[in-house]
Amino acid sequence: MKTLVEPIKKGLQKSLHLLWLLIKIIVPVSCLVAILDYYGFVELIAGFFTPAMALFGLPGEATIALLLSFFVNFYAALGVIATMNLSSQQITVLAVMIGICHELPVETVICSYTGLRIPVSAALRLFTALLAGLILNLIYNLILGGV
Amino acid sequence: MEIATLLITTITETLLSIAQLALLLVPILIAIEIARHYQVIEKITGKTKGALRFLLLPQEAALPLLAGIFFGIVFGSALIIDYAKEGFLKKRDLLLIGIFLSISHSVVEDTFIFAVFGANPLVLITTRTILAIIITRLAASLIDRFAPEAN
Repeated sequence: MKTLVEPIKKGLQKSLHLLWLLIKIIVPVSCLVAILDYYGFVELIAGFFTPAMALFGLPGEATIALLLSFFVNFYAALGVIATMNLSSQQITVLAVMIGICHELPVETVICSYTGLRIPVSAALRLFTALLAGLILNLIYNLILGGV
Repeated sequence: MEIATLLITTITETLLSIAQLALLLVPILIAIEIARHYQVIEKITGKTKGALRFLLLPQEAALPLLAGIFFGIVFGSALIIDYAKEGFLKKRDLLLIGIFLSISHSVVEDTFIFAVFGANPLVLITTRTILAIIITRLAASLIDRFAPEAN
């Protein structure tokens, strides 16, 4: 049992660290989005992207979550998702897309150590995310008849 | 609605969802650390032969690949850089691991976080893994065909 103390302590430390990080990112981001929404900016962006987002079965507002996850990180996107009213199908599709493509400015650099060039890795992840969203939404609609 | 009320509601709601997340996140991160402590990944690397053969990757790729999938891209690439220095893996293998991990990494943590927000964890993990496998395999075939000098 004694050997377990060390990993538990480390896990706790990491949890606290991550939760603090989440608070630092999600709270300001959701406030910013709430303000942008208040002044009608979210509606503006959402309206513009509504046709594109319909391909994934998502509302136009999901664009904000996708953009935040691509360029900042997926914790920032969670700040928006928490305020959106999405069905479980929509959250799953959005989560798959975000899971594949997020935090590009940082992660593409990390991945470049393997020899994968930064623009290639960014394009690959963006393309895969869009493809995944498209396919998953089709599967949900065609096979499962929408959930 | 006044801006101040709006902000207070937003902050309260956000903190509540983070608190909800904490309930799951803490035990999961502890479990991940315990798995790391007992070197679970090192112990299961032998069982990945078939999967690696399908990805056209050597047995040596198992550890950095699994570490990246379960513990995250930073930890995975730290191992990859190590392996690259030691010369265990060829340029082509490193690139393929990079491709796989860029699409699918820290699946446990990510999946649980999204599950708290209402996503289906099974769909999430399956879609990401299948796509990473298909794309890595495709890339492996392409590299071997058109850039054999990377071997």
